Amino acid sequence: MNAVPVSRSIKAIPEIVRVTLRQLLGRRRTILLLLLSVIPILMAAVFVAAGESDVDGFASSVLDVFSVTMLLPIVAVLFGTAAFGAEIEDGTVVYLLAKPISRWAVIVAKLLGAATVTALLTIASVSVAGLIALAPQGEHGRAAILGFVAAMAVGSVCYVSFFMALSLFTRRALMIGIFYFLIWEGLLSSLLAGIANFSIRQYTLGVVGAFFQLSDQEARLTPATALPLAAILVVVALALATRRLMRFEMSGSGD
Amino acid sequence: MNPQSAPAAAPPAGPGPESGSFAAPAIELVNVARWYGNVVAVNDVSFSLGPGVTGLLGPNGAGKTTLLHMLAGFLAPSAGTVRVLGRSPHQDPSVYRQIGLVPEREAVYPFLTGFEYVRFNARLQGLHDPDAAARQAIRMVGLEDAADRAVGTYSKGMRQRAKVAGALVHDPQVFLLDEPFNGMDPRQRLAMMDLLGQLAEAGRTILFSSHILEEVERVGSQILVLVAGRLAASGDFRAIRALMTDRPHTITIHSSDDRRLAATLIADPAVFAVELAEGGLAVQTAHLSAFRRLIAERSRSVGVSLLEVVPADESLESVFDYLVRR
Repeated sequence: MNAVPVSRSIKAIPEIVRVTLRQLLGRRRTILLLLLSVIPILMAAVFVAAGESDVDGFASSVLDVFSVTMLLPIVAVLFGTAAFGAEIEDGTVVYLLAKPISRWAVIVAKLLGAATVTALLTIASVSVAGLIALAPQGEHGRAAILGFVAAMAVGSVCYVSFFMALSLFTRRALMIGIFYFLIWEGLLSSLLAGIANFSIRQYTLGVVGAFFQLSDQEARLTPATALPLAAILVVVALALATRRLMRFEMSGSGD
Repeated sequence: MNPQSAPAAAPPAGPGPESGSFAAPAIELVNVARWYGNVVAVNDVSFSLGPGVTGLLGPNGAGKTTLLHMLAGFLAPSAGTVRVLGRSPHQDPSVYRQIGLVPEREAVYPFLTGFEYVRFNARLQGLHDPDAAARQAIRMVGLEDAADRAVGTYSKGMRQRAKVAGALVHDPQVFLLDEPFNGMDPRQRLAMMDLLGQLAEAGRTILFSSHILEEVERVGSQILVLVAGRLAASGDFRAIRALMTDRPHTITIHSSDDRRLAATLIADPAVFAVELAEGGLAVQTAHLSAFRRLIAERSRSVGVSLLEVVPADESLESVFDYLVRR
């Protein structure tokens, strides 16, 4: 087997990212996700209108419970599984794979594309909500904003890596992904403490902890534990996805 | 399409140092089989192809797409070896620098314009001037007028041409096309057939599948016929027809006296049947070459002038029909 020049693979990444962004942003579900991401902003407006000033309360009930626990995984599962899922379904993946570029470059480009839109949407949502509700509350409030913005960036990469890899292994990635964050992270992790080590939500909340103190009930991992675990998850997911793509086989038309 | 263009001439941003001439057959299959569980899709197929156009024929389910997927590196053979330009294409992305692939599925990124789609292919191929290469490829398939429209607004035939442009933008040595004429109108088909012919003349190896015999017949005479996963025949279809000795050849003859000629021909054991019709004589014989000698000799001996002697069933359809039904 002849090696593909690394420089050619790297040069192809921006082009694949561009097409992936257009592919993901052109979907109707993006509008639904935009509407969803406005909810924390509306909550922030209500928070301010009600004359509230409890930074911890807003961070916990809105940014944790809604933005990290619901908005982030929903956006990530839709974009992460669509990064490849749609192309495999409609056959356009051939135009990527029948090219002299390494499979890892295709995976990295797809991750960059899907994680970028996920991060942009979720970061914009918590930033605007935070600026409305928390920024006026002083240093403590600004630390919370910073913490959740960083967490959304890390969480986007982790969730998208996981869901994108999943979509290369099963056609039911969307369903399994939803099951993962609703049942595994939402239900089981509250019952079994050890699950925190295998929960992207906990990695995300762990990052918040580097800037802003959440309660132990919410964030079970310290930043020092969460970040290496998040890095391992991303590396393993990308390695598995690359391996899977290398072994990708076209299903014929029965012909 | 610009008939004056030289499709295989190196485009402004043509292949780099990885291109070159290949002494080995461009495409080579040795005892290749592919099965899915208990279902055998391709069974013990061997052939090799050099520059030129070859039509891959077969009824639905014969294994054409499976064979093309193996050649394109998207399926591993269950047995045997597949080589494209001397290398196994499976799990070797570098081979795509020299392969242009037009898949059967018609989906193309609908949000890209035709030009953007072809340039996307050029960029992923690492061409030095993707814009120029894309413009040239668009010109070659005659899609200039629609190049700035989103592919999603294209007709099926236009999408096919965009796919072909994307496949040839890097001037590959080998083209693999799965039903490339699908959805094209007759004028577009002729233009695409011309293009394939020009690419073949320029030394490219082109293998395309089709179930429309007329298309294959117009593009070239070299065929591979797959029937139920097996290679039923390969080579020039006229030569294959000549080898089909268990099926009589039908020859239409026009002469100065058809009735007299019929009487003398029917007496010869090489002739199975003679039918006298208004349009001339329809003669059936098992041995075409022997008959050619016979007809010249007999017509001379009875003083009949031959005006026209035409093999009536040397069409590809006749060959295909025979091979599939055998």
